[in-house]
Amino acid sequence: MSVITDAPRAQDSGGQDDDRSRSRRTRRRVWRALQYVALVLFVCFLGFPLLFLVTAAFKTQQELQSPDPQLLPAQWNLDNFIGAIERAGLGQAALNSLVVALATTLIVVVVSLPAAYALARFQTRLRGLATGWILLSQVFPFILIIIPLFLMLRPLGLNNTLGGLVVVYVVWSLPFALWMLRGYVAAIPSELEEAGAMDGASRLRVLVSIIMPLLGPGLVATALFAFIGSWNEFFFALVLIKDEALQTLPQRLALFVGSEGQVALGQLAAGSLLACIPSLVFFAIIQRRLTSGLLSGAVKG
Amino acid sequence: MHRSIRAVAGIGACAVLLTGCAFGGGGGAAATSDPDEEVTLTFQSLAFQDATIQATQDIVDTWNADHPETQVEVVQGSWDNVHDQLVTQFQGGEAPDIIHNEASDMTGFAQDGYLADLSPYLSDDVVDSVGEGLWESVTIGDAVFAAPTVMQSYVVFANTAMFEEAGVEVPTGDELSWDALREAAQQLTADGRFGVGWGLRQPTAAFMNLGLGFDGTYFDVADDGSATIDVGEGELAVPEAVHAMAYDDASLDPVTLTQSGGDVLPGFLGGQYGMYVGGSYLAQQIADSAPEGFEWTVLPPLAGSAGGVQGTSPQTLSVPAESEHADRAAEFIDFFMQPENLAAIGQGDCLIPASEPARADLASATEGQTGWTEMLASGETLEAAPFQLASGYPQWKDQYATPLFQQYLANAITLEELQQQLADGWEQVG
Repeated sequence: MSVITDAPRAQDSGGQDDDRSRSRRTRRRVWRALQYVALVLFVCFLGFPLLFLVTAAFKTQQELQSPDPQLLPAQWNLDNFIGAIERAGLGQAALNSLVVALATTLIVVVVSLPAAYALARFQTRLRGLATGWILLSQVFPFILIIIPLFLMLRPLGLNNTLGGLVVVYVVWSLPFALWMLRGYVAAIPSELEEAGAMDGASRLRVLVSIIMPLLGPGLVATALFAFIGSWNEFFFALVLIKDEALQTLPQRLALFVGSEGQVALGQLAAGSLLACIPSLVFFAIIQRRLTSGLLSGAVKG
Repeated sequence: MHRSIRAVAGIGACAVLLTGCAFGGGGGAAATSDPDEEVTLTFQSLAFQDATIQATQDIVDTWNADHPETQVEVVQGSWDNVHDQLVTQFQGGEAPDIIHNEASDMTGFAQDGYLADLSPYLSDDVVDSVGEGLWESVTIGDAVFAAPTVMQSYVVFANTAMFEEAGVEVPTGDELSWDALREAAQQLTADGRFGVGWGLRQPTAAFMNLGLGFDGTYFDVADDGSATIDVGEGELAVPEAVHAMAYDDASLDPVTLTQSGGDVLPGFLGGQYGMYVGGSYLAQQIADSAPEGFEWTVLPPLAGSAGGVQGTSPQTLSVPAESEHADRAAEFIDFFMQPENLAAIGQGDCLIPASEPARADLASATEGQTGWTEMLASGETLEAAPFQLASGYPQWKDQYATPLFQQYLANAITLEELQQQLADGWEQVG
């Protein structure tokens, strides 16, 4: 009896399970498809401005002002690139930007690394003060500090020098870099340092052999932040650098914008495209180190 | 102890020096230099079009060849951020020796005493070549703080093929009345195409400059820069006409009211608008960008009840009061103001030279070229607008006038509300 009655039940429940898992699978597939659609939209959203920049750089003035705009240029011509390089002297400006951005990045990383470690690991009163300083420094608008800064740099002979610009960028980037790096240091379990110490490693050895390798992604992120921030910065450079031979890329690119909304769009696009390249190369070189997950399972017992 | 006293004294001395640098602009106390001393002056130029950049460099090269003792070096600046740059440069005592900008922006710096008086250095020929009204717009008290070089006028560009197609005669004559503009716009409006496109995203300067054609001066400015406002019929005539064309006649594309002058250009070149109102500088862009066979011209100057008069804020050259070689810099400006030089600059930018002989030079240089006769004719009636000398104008313009005009053009407030709020805004600023 029970066999007779149980069999259909078992069949029933087996069928229900199949239905359930099938519908679960369908739901998962739909969800995954929606995720891909969202991803494609997101990539389009991010990618379209770049595509527009690339195509505008190769279009003629007539094509750019055409009432019936096409996405791709009729002919890929290089006039805008030649014009941009000749008019704005982009080569020298790119070199200046590169020097300033690399120097800023190096100094920011070297200064913020030990400071971030100290802030994350040592319980002192300075910690609260430093945190307050970091937050406060982020709320000041540029225009408020630019004149005092200008007056401070002038007697030091740092106005109109790339060195002066590096000093300003380091001071400007340091608080946030410190804040970022402090978070990365804090995320490294102190048990790892204790384990190293128990094995007889000195503090320096612990820092060099354990902390530094684990901080790799944090250092890369901080370096990227400092590099891109100083590569793109415009206002401080505008005010501090007067000599044309010392001007940075954003300053030179501003020459393509005139009064009353006039823009040399083709040349501006060509110049901006060229200006993107070093930044992309720098990112491509170091982004491989921007990985996470090194710590997963490090202290599981 | 001694060391700390010395340190404090040093800091104090630095502070005094810095304060001197920051607030030392005396206005008029220009330095003169040893005539044999070799100096290099910095000239921050805002030339934008390739032709104007070249013309500026040619002028500087000619000067440098003739004046080995006073070499001029051009530093290219940008219109977009020149104000912020000058604010910090004046405060830090590092402004270029020769500054290119426009009169309305330089007035504030002059009132703060940052600019040298050029009047002792300008030759009689240069002074006589520029109209008195324009000199008044760059004079505070007896001090001339800038030399006006070229000016922009508002002109009406016309797609002549569209006129022909619609059977409308292209307006000619000495002036184009606003009624005639409205009528032509209505006749040209058909099949989804509009009679007029006008990029009025930043409407204040256009309305205030064209308002002079209806005696709409907006401000009564005293010598010290203080001003009282009067927003009456004359002041509101232009915004009212634009509003009527957009919403009553539907002959002006309302979308263009939210765009810049350059944004409207593709529509004009594509035959979407029969007429296109904007600054004369747009002629250069039309010439550069027009498709082959595009037929266009410039219509006669727009005229209101008081004639074709328009306000303008001329481009200028100035010298900082603290320049160590203000006399040499002013001499260079005098050279720059020579007719052939201003004509070359005007031609490059499609702007009207401030000097009469330069306009004559430009007229002969551009004889037969599309639009130049009409553009130069509109330059004859340009006047310095009173608002330039009103000390609170830039703030009022940004905080009140521009948003209010934009709301009116978007049909969000009435003419009466606009009138009231413009005056109230000035009360807040003043």
